Amino acid sequence: MSNMHSNHDRRSFPTGWWRGARPVASGALAIGLLAVAPIAGHHLVGGSPARSAENPPAKLPAPPRDGTLGFVVAQFVSPIVPGNDACPHGTAPRLREEYLRTLPDAEQARLRLKDNEKELVSRWHAYALGPNETNVCSQPDMFTHTPYPGVESRYGWGLNLGGRNAAGAGDNTTCAHDKFQSPTGEQGIDNQEYRATGCTLEMRGVDGNGGDALTGMQQFHNSGQWTQVILLKGVHSFVHQDNVEVIYANTADRPILDSKGQFLPGMSFTVNDTGARHRNVLHGRIDNGVLTTEPADIKLAQTWGQGGPRDIRGNRSAYHYHKGRLRLEFQPDGSLRGLVGGYRNLFDVIVSSSLGGEGAAIVAGIDCSAEMASLKKYADGMRDPKTGQCTAVSSAMRIGAIPAFVADLPTAQRTASR
Amino acid sequence: MKSIRRLSSLALICASASLLAGTVASLTAPAGAQGTAVASASPIDAPQIVAMRRLTEAQYRNAIADIFGPDIKVAGRFEPVVRPVHELIASGSREAAISPLGLEQFDSMARNIAAQVFDEKHSGQFIPCHPQDNAKADDACATATLAPLGRYLFRRPLTTQELVLYVKMAGLAAGPTGSFNGGLELALSAMLVSPNFLYIVETAQPDPAHPGVLALDNYSRAARLSFTLWNSTPNAVLLDAAAAGRLTDPAQLAEIARGMVASPRFEQGVRAFFTDMLLFERFDNLSKDPVLFPYYNAQVGQAMPEQMLRTIVDELVTRGGDYRQLFTTNRTWMTRALGGLYQVPVHKSAGWEPYTFAPGDDRAGILGQAGFLAIYSQTGRSSPTLRGRAVRELLMCQPVPNPPGNVNFTAVQDTKNKAVPTARIRLSAHVTDDNCAGCHKLTDPVGLSLERFDGIGSWRTTENGAPIDPSGNLDKTVFSGAAGLGKVLAESPDTHQCAASRALEYARAMPSDDDGDLVEALDKQFAADGYSIKALFLRVATLPENYQVKIPALQTGATRVSMANQ
Repeated sequence: MSNMHSNHDRRSFPTGWWRGARPVASGALAIGLLAVAPIAGHHLVGGSPARSAENPPAKLPAPPRDGTLGFVVAQFVSPIVPGNDACPHGTAPRLREEYLRTLPDAEQARLRLKDNEKELVSRWHAYALGPNETNVCSQPDMFTHTPYPGVESRYGWGLNLGGRNAAGAGDNTTCAHDKFQSPTGEQGIDNQEYRATGCTLEMRGVDGNGGDALTGMQQFHNSGQWTQVILLKGVHSFVHQDNVEVIYANTADRPILDSKGQFLPGMSFTVNDTGARHRNVLHGRIDNGVLTTEPADIKLAQTWGQGGPRDIRGNRSAYHYHKGRLRLEFQPDGSLRGLVGGYRNLFDVIVSSSLGGEGAAIVAGIDCSAEMASLKKYADGMRDPKTGQCTAVSSAMRIGAIPAFVADLPTAQRTASR
Repeated sequence: MKSIRRLSSLALICASASLLAGTVASLTAPAGAQGTAVASASPIDAPQIVAMRRLTEAQYRNAIADIFGPDIKVAGRFEPVVRPVHELIASGSREAAISPLGLEQFDSMARNIAAQVFDEKHSGQFIPCHPQDNAKADDACATATLAPLGRYLFRRPLTTQELVLYVKMAGLAAGPTGSFNGGLELALSAMLVSPNFLYIVETAQPDPAHPGVLALDNYSRAARLSFTLWNSTPNAVLLDAAAAGRLTDPAQLAEIARGMVASPRFEQGVRAFFTDMLLFERFDNLSKDPVLFPYYNAQVGQAMPEQMLRTIVDELVTRGGDYRQLFTTNRTWMTRALGGLYQVPVHKSAGWEPYTFAPGDDRAGILGQAGFLAIYSQTGRSSPTLRGRAVRELLMCQPVPNPPGNVNFTAVQDTKNKAVPTARIRLSAHVTDDNCAGCHKLTDPVGLSLERFDGIGSWRTTENGAPIDPSGNLDKTVFSGAAGLGKVLAESPDTHQCAASRALEYARAMPSDDDGDLVEALDKQFAADGYSIKALFLRVATLPENYQVKIPALQTGATRVSMANQ
């Protein structure tokens, strides 16, 4: 059952080392990746892998003695490209503005007067509500609002889900769409979720460098409700290695954070099947320090706070990536950095706002219907053969994972639980 | 409730006054009467109070749990027993008073415990009769209830005088409270704040075989055995043995002691001994800078002493191992929280699991455990001096003088100065002062060997970028690292002789400084027994000298109690 990280039992890491390219202290390298020299001269802060088969690292690490490496995911956020180029017209309007735009100019001007604020509030709130206690976030399909503006920039992070040379033309399972180019020059990137939602205030933030959605996701992650671990088996070379088994799973164990809120490396986590946990078994290969897995369904827990069944808090959903895959780059400090990508069901993208319901619409001002309309507009995957419509969007999340001891579920227990 | 409170004050006073009367009465009870719950008073012959040892917090809690059950909650703050310099807390318990504030705390706890004992849920376990009227006093039923409880609490039968007092107290309180149980509650509260409960009152009488020496009586022996081996109050078997006079018979005492050492409860006694010997009270005030030591948190702080105790119990009790292995073993126990500090895998999400360090790992014995390393460090840095001193004083019984009050610590505190990157370099600058050098020569060469463990015991090989030199020496023996130090300690005769000396001190609650020959003999027996801690404590528990009290000539008259007839 045990499959502790790497070839030694004990390791030593400088605190906070995984955040940046901080060098590992001399003599502190005890095991696995840390027992090697840097495998790349630099890496991008907040970026996706720059390394590829055509761009090999300067030096590759020695493989772990038992071929096993464990990690806990310390960073799991939407990979926006910061700056104002993506949304030259600003962030998507709030529900109040959305409502005002439906009115003639004169009426808009009248309602914007301070004396008419009460009337405006009443009317835009009504705009968020439907019959029979429905609202724009809980039942976004019942409303026909204008789609949110999409990302206009050519740059985006993500994975090429349609093959190396695919140009986004669409085929039996996908729909035509524009591909992104990564800021590091990688072509053919699929991330229509980013295109559809990358200009929302929640995603982009007031300064264009990231909004509440990013910090919120990191907080959920830090709280231990989504704790994810990665266990690699069969890693005997970082230059070229076929048949790497990748266990990408949730664990009930909470991470231990330091006083600055950062995950501490070298902690132990157990993969079990209690609660809403998921254990994805993927297969991949390593080329020049980059691990890439074959497409497969990836399901990961997504719990929205703690609370009772009548409360939004405590609701459980899932990150479900159809044809999902990982591309992770081994870092000189022992960490992994990269992306998980795949196609997500449209509604899954707005599940958080939808759970918030009327509150998300009226208090936060989120127009879920507009967001859903945007997602439908840019949907590029899981084409329905009957309708010809795509039911999912390509998506990616940035992953930062640090070394950890991962105890996998015993084989017997796995069998019994399924 | 107001009536209860007024009466409670009376109870305190009465209980305190009953101390001497009760004690003396127990001493004078004829052998045949001691088997009953109540001893009859008789004129004083020769017994004397020779010691009063205040219960420690652990002993108090264990006693309450043993007598009333583990579900009776003990809530309150305990006034600590002060540790005399270079001695055990057990020795300090002989000199421990109770301040007015401390007595208030004991009173509060006593009321709370008594209320639980006689509440609806529990009273059936302790009241063996049915009062004639639940709302009124019933002396017969109160007597039947309080006499056996008093026997356990005072570790001897109540005297007639005491029993009458407590039954009367129960009767007086039953009226105002309109509850028979309410009366019992008050009486029990009074017993729980009596010095006869809060102190282990040891009495002795002249030993005909050894003129000038007093020998502990049977009930005092029962308490000594029980608190030494189990860290709790004597149970019914021990009290019955005392009543039958079996504990003054060496053969019968040995048989009982053997049974106690073989009992699972001996673990509790071993834990208490090492908690005292290794100064675990330092964990109560342990604080570490969370920025410098991110792996230290509340869970780690709680797990540190437990890890040491689990290692000790596993090696010495469960495995019956050699005491010296405590300094060389590579076996220990881990929790998830500790696993991060040690950077080792821990399979279980919650609780403890055994862990064995790889051969050659420097985590050798308790000296390589985070608990030892952390409590003998400063808040923000390691301390070779504190660690070396702890090794000398605690494990080798070699007292090191305190530093003078005007020491300039600037050099050793300058931990971020890359010109003096390691503790070894900083200390070498510090000890250029001749006033400091003398003591530092004793401590630092020992403690510097542990420098590859930082202020919370995490492994490191460099400090400020400079490699750490883990070499050390102890009395001209050169070694390297914690493993080297552990090996040297294990081979040092001072180490096991210190353990023998501490065991004797722990049992008698007095230092063994004047008993060199006795300690030496005990140490030889310790060696002959393969340095088994079980054998050592059995030897101590059956040692005739453990129950003997030398009478200082000038104090003989002053310590005699003669108030029983007043």
